[in-house]
This record gives sequence, structure tokens and C-alpha cells, in this order.
Amino acid sequence: MKRGSIWSWVWVAIGVIYFALPLIATFEFSLKAERGRYSLAAYRTVLSDPQFLRTFTFSVEIAILTIVFSLLLIVPTVYWVHLKLPNLRPLMEFVAFLPFVLPAVVLVFGLIRIYSRPPLALTNYAWSTNLLLIAAYMGLALPYMYRSVDTGMRAVDIRTLTEAAQSLGAGWPTIIGRVIFPNLRTALLSGTFLTFAIVIGEYTIASFLARPMFGPYLASLVRNKAYEPAALSIISFAITWIIMAAVQWVTQRTPGAGQVATGPR
Amino acid sequence: MAFLDINHLHKQFGEFVAVSGFDVQVEQGEFISLLGPSGCGKTTALRMIAGFERPSSGTIYIADQDVTDRPPNQRNIGMVFQSYALFPNMTVADNIGFGLKLKGVSGEVKRKRVGELLELIQLPDKGKNYPYQLSGGQQQRVALARALAIEPQVLLLDEPLSALDAKIRVELRSEIRRIQQKLHITTLYVTHDQEEAMSLSDRVVVMNKGVIEQVGTPFEIYNYPATAFTAHFVGQLNVLPVNVIDPVTGRATLHDQPLALPAPLQGVNGKPVSIALRPEELALGAVDDHNNLNGTVENITFLGSIVRVKVAVGPTGVVADLFNERQLVLPHIGETVTLNFPAHAAWVLEGQA
Repeated sequence: MKRGSIWSWVWVAIGVIYFALPLIATFEFSLKAERGRYSLAAYRTVLSDPQFLRTFTFSVEIAILTIVFSLLLIVPTVYWVHLKLPNLRPLMEFVAFLPFVLPAVVLVFGLIRIYSRPPLALTNYAWSTNLLLIAAYMGLALPYMYRSVDTGMRAVDIRTLTEAAQSLGAGWPTIIGRVIFPNLRTALLSGTFLTFAIVIGEYTIASFLARPMFGPYLASLVRNKAYEPAALSIISFAITWIIMAAVQWVTQRTPGAGQVATGPR
Repeated sequence: MAFLDINHLHKQFGEFVAVSGFDVQVEQGEFISLLGPSGCGKTTALRMIAGFERPSSGTIYIADQDVTDRPPNQRNIGMVFQSYALFPNMTVADNIGFGLKLKGVSGEVKRKRVGELLELIQLPDKGKNYPYQLSGGQQQRVALARALAIEPQVLLLDEPLSALDAKIRVELRSEIRRIQQKLHITTLYVTHDQEEAMSLSDRVVVMNKGVIEQVGTPFEIYNYPATAFTAHFVGQLNVLPVNVIDPVTGRATLHDQPLALPAPLQGVNGKPVSIALRPEELALGAVDDHNNLNGTVENITFLGSIVRVKVAVGPTGVVADLFNERQLVLPHIGETVTLNFPAHAAWVLEGQA
């Protein structure tokens, strides 16, 4: 065996330990709810808590709505910029970068200040607060969504594909539905997945807007209990993994999708 | 009115004039090339005909229909791109059938038509493949079939062979011509490759800086170039700075060696003018009725069917293309030789002193 490959295995091992050890420790700890033996008691408590199911499904709903609205906003926008306004690309990059610089606390205070008084007193009702929540999450997810959509469009030479479809008689709905979206599927799925992960675990905005999200629930559990939060972390981690595997499975089964092979660049 | 009738097409991007005064009349079934260096406006002209660019002024008629303001999806035009632009998410058969489906052709009729097209491009068993499983040449054939599937009135090709290897390029070139002649489809072909334009076209439109320099058959373009640009751009060209001795009889000199040129010679007594001469008009050795130029061999390039000999006549390099044959005796570098050419082979280049 060559020296280089030994070292690369050492680095891989270090990396695996770094990421896996806390997870294993958490898992081990979550099994210790009953004194002196391993058991799934903490998991039983968590899963039987109605709060868990309620906050989790609410977060999933909000995540799905965030993803849908983000896609509806970002895909046509990025498409149009690619096609007709390439000069606006730097501006788009800048805007998509803003959520990284702007702390969530600032964002949520800004939202509350503007939308808690007339003419747009959105914080007065639960449903309108949910709108604010989704809007805020769309902002948080923007960098990831924009990146994946932008990269996806760059990879498939969206402009020429559009023109090819046009010359064959296709109108805009056909072009977007049958050419653009299918060829962006992989990129859209990765953006979707990241958005989902962000929304499920988000704490700051959800707690300031006082919505029953999964993040604040997890935090309150940490304050009051010992083993259950560990169990909950493992559960949400498992859910995340299942979703990721599902994404992989879908993208690999889509014929021709994983492959980006049009003409020369 | 011609089948494809383009009148005074003009396109401006801000201050930059991309195409100006573009007038071309194309007959049904004709194969026309737009030839020019990059940035000459040939692609912009093609894109206006396709409908991807809106002309600043001018009109485009196809079969007596004014299509100038029609969007590209209502023009019934087939387009082939340099980058193939096949839909990566669809099979070859679905790519070819895409336009048919949009026209409402489906089921058995569509399947049969796609099969015929696959036969036409000689890829009968690739229908179920995805584009990424094909070579570049095969992808471009599929792109051609896809464009032809909708039975367009005009076929537009934008540098379709530029991305391919030299050998595939020549192969596919004759393929395109064969298919075009078989279907008798009116075709516009954009290229910067003069050999491609010459070998494919019924007529060539030479463009430079947004303006048409000349429209003519390959024979006319090559042998009777109307402008200095065309003469230089198409084929090899010797430009000789000669001194006019007597414009009426056509007498002149090149570095004190006497020449008899086509009379009357444009130019003034004692003033220099540029004359143009194709390398293949020159031959080795002295011939009585021809012009003879003495010089030293500078360079010899063997190109297979021809041998290119560069001879220094004074400070001027003159290139002669000799047909290769087995009994040819090649001169040596540094040897003094005589080149000859008939008077009628030379012409005066306008706009050049």
C-alpha cells in the first residue's frame, strides 16, 4: 500500500470520528433514561407527547409552503435573469447573500416592527403570522435556493434549450414545464432539501413570532428534560437522513437527469 | 418575390450596429451560406430570421408571409445550434418527436415519422438512447432530425459543425448536403469556415462588419471577388505592390521586373497599385507568353495534394501552389527560380494602394 493512501485513510478516519462521535454519544445517552440499563424509554416519552407530533407536522407544513413559494419566486426570476437580463447577475448574487450577513434576530424584529401595526397588522392573527413566518423562511432559504437554481441553469445551457424549444413551436408554459423544470430537477431537489432542513430546525424567528414550531419545542425540552432532547435529536436526524436518501433515490431513478451532457462549453 | 425574402434588415445593440442593409433573396430549396469572421453579424442575421432577435428595421418574408414580428414558435423554422441543444431529459426519439407532439401529431403517426427520421440520419437503433450516451456527431444528427421533424419551411444552421473533430466535420458536412438535397429544403447555413461554405452552398453570402460584401456562387466568390475583403477572406491570395508604367497597355513592374497586366490598368503612371493573384495560378519555370518573376525559394510546405512554395521576389513574398504529382521535382530552399502566370489571372484590388 502506498504511503499517500494510508494518510488519506487516516484523514478520513479523523473526519468520521469528528462527525460521528457526538452523534454516537448522543445516541448512547438517549438510551440511558432508565437507571442501570439501556432502554427506549426516552423515545417512548417523546413520541407519546402530543406536542411533538403537533409541532413537527406544523413545521413540515411550513417547510413545504416555504419550498413551494420559494420555487415559484426563484425559478422564474433566475430563469429570466439568465435569459434576458444577464447584467443583473451580480445584483442577484448580492441579494442572495444578504441573509448570511443579516442575523435572524434582526430580520424578525424588522418584520415585527413593520407588520404589527396598521396598515399591515399581520401579527394580529395566527394565519397572517404564518405568512410572515413563511416569508422570513423564504429569506433564510434564499442563498441556498438561489445557488442551486443558478448552478442548475448554468449546467444545462438554459438559453439554447429555450431557443431550441421555441423553434420547435413551444410556448412559455411548455418550455418551463417540459424543458426547464425537468432539467433542473436535481438542482431543485438539493435546494428543496436544504430549505427543508433549515425550516425544521429553525428557532429564533419561530419563537419571536410565537408559532408552535419544532425548533422552539426542541429548545423547551432541552431546558426541562435530560434524555428526551437527545432522543429527539436522534429522531430528527433520522428523519433528515431518510429525506436525503429519498432525494438520492428519486434523482438517480430519473432517466438522464443526473447526467448533464449537452454540447461543448 | 423569393421564397425567403429578406429586405434591408438592420439590427443595432445600443450604439453597436450588428447588421446593416441585409438584403438576401433565397429560392425554394436553395442552400445559402452566411460566411464571415466572428463578429461580422452572420449569426445575428440568422437569429433575426429565426425570430430570436427582433430587427431594428427591415422585413422578413417566408412564402409571401410577413414573419418579421412573429415570435419564433410561430414561424415554422427548423434550427440547429452549435451546441446541439438536445433536451437532456428526453430520449433521442422524444427529442425528435418534441415538435410533432406540440403540433398534435401523436401515436402511430408520430412513431412512424420519428422512425423515418432516424433512418434518414442513419441512427435507426438509437431512438431509446439519451443524448449523453451519443457522440457529438451523433447528437448533432439527432438535432438535425429534430429540426426537420416539424417539416419547417426554412432550415437554419448556426455553425453546426464547429464543435466536432475534423474528420466527423467533413463526414457530417456531406450528410447535411445529402439530406438537404433529398428533402429539397430551403437552408441557411452560418459558418466562418470558407471551405464548408464553398463545398456546401448553392450561393454564399460573404459578410464583414455587419455588411454584405458579396453574394454569389462559390465559383464567383472565389474567382471574381467583388471586394478586397472577399478576396482576402476566401482562399489564399498574393497581393503584389506593382508600379504602373503605362495604364493603357497594362504595363507595370514589380521591383523592377516587367509585368504585362490586363489592360487598361486602373492606376496612374508611376504610382503603385495592388494586384491580386491566386497561388494556384502561378507555376514554376519560365513561359514565353506569361509573366515571369525571378526570386529565391524561401519556404516549401507539403500539403498532400498541393505543394506550397514561397518565393521572395525582392522584398515581396509570393506564394505558388503546385499540384502534387509523383514526378514533380521540388526546388530547394535558397534556390533561384522563375515563377510564371498568365496576364488574365491577375486583377487590381480596389481600395488598396
